[in-house]
Amino acid sequence: MSEPLLSVKNLKKFFQVRKGFPNPKTVTVRALDGISFEVQRGQAFALVGESGCGKSTAGRTILRLLEPDEGTIEFDGQDIGKADAKQMRALRKRAQIIFQDPFSSLNPRMRVGTALAEPLLVHGLMGKKEADERVRDLLEEVGLPRDAGVRFPHEFSGGQRQRLGIARALTLNPELIIADEPVSALDVSIQSQILTLLRDLQQRLNLSFIFISHDLGVVRYFCQVMAVMYLGKIIEKGPVPKIFDEPLHPYTVMLRDASPVPDPTARKAFERIEGEVPSAVNPPSGCHFHPRCPHVMDVCRKVYPDFIAVDAERSVACHLYADGRGGLPVAETAAAIG
Amino acid sequence: MIHPGNPRVEPVLDVSNLTTSFRIGGEWHAAVRGISFALQPNETLALVGESGCGKSMTALSILGLVPKTNGRVEADHIRYEGKDLSRLPDEEMRKIRGNGISMIFQEPMTSLNPVLPVGFQVMEALRYHQKMSRGDGEKRALELLELVKIPSAKSRFKEYPHQFSGGMRQRVMIAMALACRPKVILADEPTTALDVTIQAQILSLLNELKAETDMSMIFITHNLGVVAALADRVAVMYAGDIVEIASVNDLFARPTHPYTEALLRSVPRSDRDTKTLYSIPGAVPPLTRMPEGCRFAARCELAIDICRRQNPPLETLPAGGAHSVRCWVRGDHDLTAMKEHADV
Repeated sequence: MSEPLLSVKNLKKFFQVRKGFPNPKTVTVRALDGISFEVQRGQAFALVGESGCGKSTAGRTILRLLEPDEGTIEFDGQDIGKADAKQMRALRKRAQIIFQDPFSSLNPRMRVGTALAEPLLVHGLMGKKEADERVRDLLEEVGLPRDAGVRFPHEFSGGQRQRLGIARALTLNPELIIADEPVSALDVSIQSQILTLLRDLQQRLNLSFIFISHDLGVVRYFCQVMAVMYLGKIIEKGPVPKIFDEPLHPYTVMLRDASPVPDPTARKAFERIEGEVPSAVNPPSGCHFHPRCPHVMDVCRKVYPDFIAVDAERSVACHLYADGRGGLPVAETAAAIG
Repeated sequence: MIHPGNPRVEPVLDVSNLTTSFRIGGEWHAAVRGISFALQPNETLALVGESGCGKSMTALSILGLVPKTNGRVEADHIRYEGKDLSRLPDEEMRKIRGNGISMIFQEPMTSLNPVLPVGFQVMEALRYHQKMSRGDGEKRALELLELVKIPSAKSRFKEYPHQFSGGMRQRVMIAMALACRPKVILADEPTTALDVTIQAQILSLLNELKAETDMSMIFITHNLGVVAALADRVAVMYAGDIVEIASVNDLFARPTHPYTEALLRSVPRSDRDTKTLYSIPGAVPPLTRMPEGCRFAARCELAIDICRRQNPPLETLPAGGAHSVRCWVRGDHDLTAMKEHADV
């Protein structure tokens, strides 16, 4: 495989939180506890998990919107973590982010055309006239009227605002886009419009994506490679079709089985889905998932499992796949949907 | 699946020609426009649609919770236990709300009182409606918290909502709704704010409760996967109209209204590969600019002339069952006869 566009190694991000009343104590939340992955050019890479698993923190830390505590982030061979302000500014042109709620990320008092032109002017890439023209092209590219730039954010619907968020991310012709739950707040019909737009842009502009989502249906449609996160760690990683057909980690199986599918004949009892995601402040000992795991063994309560490469493409952090153990019972992975 | 649309069984709730309008800029606009449905005993009816289709307003109208200052609810009748809820005075309505008919809201964070212990809030309805003593109320409230599977309910009885996780708060909301053994529960997107594994737990809890009691439920959601997981019958709403109503199996096997069909094709599925996703062009028109005729016509691939002029009636399909559709093209209409009629 060719040189990856982005390579993240052992990335860590801790937060200090003061908690408790009346005697608050400072505790450390290990929001990102050593995650590693690579994104190839033109690839859509999914970070999947439930709230609090660290997927959004990962997105922000990669762009250094949050400073990483440990680990390296290499973008096109250049170490982002060591880049100074000037290098960082150059890198920011090449990697952009789309947020879940585009309303709170647009200045309500600025005409959207002005807002979209701003990065072009800040980076000194164009004169005002040229920038205006580029903004018109961008608006058209994301399916809005060319003259929409004179309007204010509140004049747009949710779906249109997300189109603006995408236009904003595209302004500087980035190579990598981090999309943080870009369609979660949208209605089904609008969601499919935005997903279709993103896929079209990806193919036309050969964009790479880090796609952060909790919706497995969306991930299966949009992404080629995925990593499942649980309490700050990646617990399984591999090609999307393989993970859906044969998930390795018991948590991945649980996530898949819990995802509702629009088919009443596939109705399930959900009886294997137990417990809740524990607090990241005080994660369980050993494997973080062991209190909810139907296959828990003694070793799981004591030792966090290694991240084991099962084959050339897939890895999993689970003691079931350590030497001599056969992994999940076959019936389990196949007890699937469809 | 019990008596879907069977007229011989007395429905628990019978809504006929319900219209809910709002005054915007001095003019009245219908957010729900003349919808009718009957809820059978122990039936789960899902109301599905996108934001602004009127599904939540339907529930609020049934319970008389539409703000009277700029909202107006009209109906031929909303019949519940021999009473017409649409004409009931406030005091009478208060006796039904939370007692015979109760509601579960989407946001368990904002619907619980943050300064009162959880157990007290569950007990409140019992004390008010059933005039229970404090001791009996506490006993029953504890039973309810155990029924909705709150771990170590006894020790958590006196805790406050902020000490509960989102999923646990939603369980408390369900316990509150169940307190007086209501005949009907209106659940408005009760799992939308939750993570998928927690959603799955709440759905299976609701399914269990339904099997154990004889309650009926109106389940409001935009998620077709959730519909498939628990509904007996489904009503699809678009811009204030019910455009299709059928048993859950019929609806998913034979989606007939172009909107229902398009919705199903727009959902990326986790259980199979989707090469291309269908997109419905455009967006739902705003309440103040609703088109004449069928409100979906502008986004519909099958739209013909009459669709833009006249709203089709909701009519039962000849295939049998209780599958009804509001569509000139897909419904059972003799369009040539219609055309002649229109020309006259």
